[in-house]
Amino acid sequence: MIAPYLKKGNYMSTREVVIVEGVRTPFAKSGTKLKDVHATVLGKTALTELINKTNLNKNLVDEVIIGNTGTPSDAANISRVVALNSGLPQSISAATVHRNCASALESISSGYEKIMSGTMNCVLAGGTENMSQTPLIWNKEHLRRLEKLARARTPIAKIKGLLSLLSANISQVKEIATTRPDQPSKMKPRMALLEGLTDPFVGLNMGETAEILAKEFGLSREEQDAFAVNSHKKAVAAAESGKLSEEITPLYIGKDHSTVISEDYGPRKDQSLEKLAKLKPYFDRKFGTVTAGNACPITDGAAMVLLMEKEQALAEGYKPIAKIRGYAFAGLEPERMGLGPVYSTPIALKRAGVSMKDIGLIELNEAFSAQVMACQKAFASDKFAQEKLGLSHAVGEIRDEILNVNGGAVAIGHPVGATGTRLVLTLIKEMQRRDVELGLATLCIGGGQGGAMVLERVN
Amino acid sequence: MTTQTANEKVGSMKDSVFLKVKDQIGWLMLDLQGEKVNKFSSPVVLRFQEVLEEIKNNSEIKVVVVVSSKKNIFIAGADINEIKNITEESEFLKAVTVGQELMNSFEDLKVPVIAAIDGACVGGGCEFALACDYRIATDDRSTKIGLPEVQLGIIPGFGGCVRLPRVVGLQESLGIILAGKTVPAKKALKIGLIDSMIPKAVFTKEVEKFAKDILKKGAKKRRKVFKPKNMAQKLTESFLLKSKVFKMAKAGVLKQSKGHYPAPLEALQVVKDTYKSSNREKSLKREADGFLKVAPGAESKNLINLFFMMEDVKKATGVPGKHIEVEPIDHVSVLGAGTMGGGIAQLAADKGVHVRMKDISVGAIAIGLKAAHQIWDKKVKRRRMNKFEYTQKMDRLSGGLDFAGFKNTDVVIEAIVEDMNIKKSVISETVKHLKDDAIVATNTSSLSVTEMAKAHPNPKQFVGMHFFNPVHKMPLVEVIRGADTSDEVVAKIFKLSKDMGKTPVVVKDGPGFLVNRLLLPWLAEALFMLEQDTDVVKLDRMYTHTFGMPMGPYRLMDEVGLDVCVKVLKIFKEAFSDRIETSDLVSKLSDTDRLGKKNQKGFYTYDSKGKELSFDDGVLKDLGLGKSNESLSTEETIQRGIYTMINEASRALYEDKIVETPEEVDLAMIMGTGFPPFRGGLLKYADSIGAKDIVAQLEVFESKYGKRFKPSDSLVSMANGSKTFYN
Repeated sequence: MIAPYLKKGNYMSTREVVIVEGVRTPFAKSGTKLKDVHATVLGKTALTELINKTNLNKNLVDEVIIGNTGTPSDAANISRVVALNSGLPQSISAATVHRNCASALESISSGYEKIMSGTMNCVLAGGTENMSQTPLIWNKEHLRRLEKLARARTPIAKIKGLLSLLSANISQVKEIATTRPDQPSKMKPRMALLEGLTDPFVGLNMGETAEILAKEFGLSREEQDAFAVNSHKKAVAAAESGKLSEEITPLYIGKDHSTVISEDYGPRKDQSLEKLAKLKPYFDRKFGTVTAGNACPITDGAAMVLLMEKEQALAEGYKPIAKIRGYAFAGLEPERMGLGPVYSTPIALKRAGVSMKDIGLIELNEAFSAQVMACQKAFASDKFAQEKLGLSHAVGEIRDEILNVNGGAVAIGHPVGATGTRLVLTLIKEMQRRDVELGLATLCIGGGQGGAMVLERVN
Repeated sequence: MTTQTANEKVGSMKDSVFLKVKDQIGWLMLDLQGEKVNKFSSPVVLRFQEVLEEIKNNSEIKVVVVVSSKKNIFIAGADINEIKNITEESEFLKAVTVGQELMNSFEDLKVPVIAAIDGACVGGGCEFALACDYRIATDDRSTKIGLPEVQLGIIPGFGGCVRLPRVVGLQESLGIILAGKTVPAKKALKIGLIDSMIPKAVFTKEVEKFAKDILKKGAKKRRKVFKPKNMAQKLTESFLLKSKVFKMAKAGVLKQSKGHYPAPLEALQVVKDTYKSSNREKSLKREADGFLKVAPGAESKNLINLFFMMEDVKKATGVPGKHIEVEPIDHVSVLGAGTMGGGIAQLAADKGVHVRMKDISVGAIAIGLKAAHQIWDKKVKRRRMNKFEYTQKMDRLSGGLDFAGFKNTDVVIEAIVEDMNIKKSVISETVKHLKDDAIVATNTSSLSVTEMAKAHPNPKQFVGMHFFNPVHKMPLVEVIRGADTSDEVVAKIFKLSKDMGKTPVVVKDGPGFLVNRLLLPWLAEALFMLEQDTDVVKLDRMYTHTFGMPMGPYRLMDEVGLDVCVKVLKIFKEAFSDRIETSDLVSKLSDTDRLGKKNQKGFYTYDSKGKELSFDDGVLKDLGLGKSNESLSTEETIQRGIYTMINEASRALYEDKIVETPEEVDLAMIMGTGFPPFRGGLLKYADSIGAKDIVAQLEVFESKYGKRFKPSDSLVSMANGSKTFYN
């Protein structure tokens, strides 16, 4: 029930927060083009370009807030690392925020709050994630062996440690070879990524939560695949029209920085129903409909925006792209986390003082095709509104024509800590092109939450 | 730090070197009044001797600690100004003997002496520290200990050649003495040059503790003698291999100096003759003899002269007689990420400046980034830089295809194609994206800065900043003052050049500016000589091995690029048609596919990394040259090249006033072309020959080869008045 929240949280401040500009790196499917590019480098590239693109007077910046979920062990507060690597003065503070899939919406909303309250005037917000680089975790028993060897002082202790490790390794290889990948095992290192994508409260993998929605909302495999193909088509068209290059800055990568990546590596020109039909359901092999093809890929990438108090932005000579009208986060059952947008959007709309029919463009993150389609149904359902939200009427229909018009995460990808900002950036750029006054960026959040932000075109 | 006024400058020596006694410790304080550094001048040495008597007569003192009150300086060495002015051998002997005796007196004190080093401890300062019983130092970056004497053409003369090998062993001491090196505290500790490295923040406290410890242990004298730690060191020190070590060191010195620099060879000989000798008097006598052998030589005078020229540049603003305060520059943009643009970007980022590159494709930006990476990566691999420094530097570089970031730029350096029209249109476009007080600098090597400035709505803000290739290696920057360039802009670019680690020389606009204008007649002459004598290798060697240039003219043309040489020679001939002649080979050269080092094919062949392989006799065929009918002598070869340059320099200096002083010509030639430093520069060399002889020889060449050798009016009048370039 979200009804109680609709009564709270309207700002009394007369200040306004605008987004001056934004930049993102290309997004690439994990394990491919950007697998060796550290999340700090992704973040730094986007932030450096944003600073250059806006000719930003660095001394104006009050804080850097960056979303990230898979904290790299060598950059615990990654925001600070990215800020310094981007050449920002050491005096500027930096914080990393984590709200799972919405970490980079959390960063924008934190910045919004700090500016609205009058505490700050200028915040660089965004997110960065390299999901290729999430580590493996040794199980405790194995770790103890490694530690023992590392601490061995005498030659005999060293030999003993080595032998115990060796025999363990042999049984480990045997065990890994004979167990299924998702089967738990004593010897196998655990995949942090897999654990991160599993709900710790109900024990379901994110894909399994999508399966629940697919079944409950009666979404067929074919419908989901068609949705996915459409997402690829839209993303490819947006890239080819040059729209996406307006928000993407090239990455210069490789050991000697001579490899240039300037496009997303995810959208497929040749994606088709036939190809998708060949894939087996991944999360429920017997009765399932969610496949790797109609879900978003694990992805690497970063996105950044410049937030400013409106008067200051104008004084600096900027022509901001959009104004933040309001935002909201809301909670729901973790096993149906995919419906998060339906819960958070009404609150955000209320705070913005508008209703669904005023919204001309929507970015709703495509974690899974099934999840987006379930959201569409729930958004339009009076019954859902009454039973689940405590509202008298449906939140409002989401028409296909205004939803994810440049493709979504199924094609472009979903670097968990960066997506929130990518949605906002893609949305406000397209709002300008289409001359749309109000837009909505919303996404579901692992753990059972939804996030939403209402934006108004300024120019 | 207090700033000193002129009155305080004549402060008393008593305040410069004085003794404070407390709890059995004699604190010998160094704070040379009126100077930024402590150094051994004659009055300082006298004062030291007074204080020495005080120490001897004060029975309370059980241990002496020497400390400096100067920021970042312990003792900077002997006063080079004094050495510079000495001409008589007897004065040299006196200077060395007085210094040696002072060091001996400290070594012979009954109480132990601790040198507490924070900052530079070099030359005489290092020799003093070596005469102390203990040396301890801060871990500060400014702490550097060593013996740079050979860089000034002299050898350590206050006992350094004798004591350093005793303290750190043969291998390490030769490394320091022969190359004139200094070492940071960490390395000093490792090789045993200091006994303890102390964090700067607790230095004062820890020094006192160190002294008290020694008191506690009975305040005994101590003489550090190097003990080999491992097998390799034992072998080096062994009777069997010692002579081999000296032989190898000598070969190394000869390879480096090609025999043009006597000082390191003499220093080596002194070490060889005195190492492990127990007779201090005899050893120091040998060192003094060595000092006397090299100090009065022209090489030393020239190197000391160069040292002072460099010191002058450090103090100069680029605008003589004017004091201009310049803010440090934080943001630079570079147009063009090619060889020069990329090189400039790398250098600026290396020195802490944020750099934005702009080029026409992402591929071009990638090439610029790669070039920078390669330079830093080499340092990382050699452990001259850690990976954090690498990332910091690399992250200061970014690039784009538009003018993003240009509004924040203090200076834009243009390094695009050498074409006046293209440059002009790019400059006028660029200015639209800059803040009002931004400076636009061109890295042109051949085009008129004044003309190019017309593309800038405010030509006052336009200037030339000519780097030499490869940017990270060549130390010269010609700051080219266009007709309208303002003093402030010159001063800012002069300072930026220094901040980038370069030696700037301000020159007036004119074809080839200074360095290329002087080099081109030499290269042009080399092509004439080739018509007579096709032994390219021999001719190049005459300039390198005999004269001391880093490269001969043919090798240099390869380095610059044969296409560039041809182009610039043509421009040059047009500019000075009255006197410049070029060989027919110039146009023949442009018909070949030989571009020099960059396509691995010129007078020499190169491997893909640019390493010279061998002379390529195919070039002779390409140029239509048969077997040479004569063999040019070394004398004629060198004279035709160098005298031509001197002739052109006299015109540039006196007739076109490209620079104002002969010092600037010499500094530019040494820094920009590697003109042999031991010769003191082109015009110092000219003075050593005399204008009369040069004019006479030029006239001989003129009648034999043509008008290009006609001596300039100013050179002729110098010859007639028996004048020299200097004074």
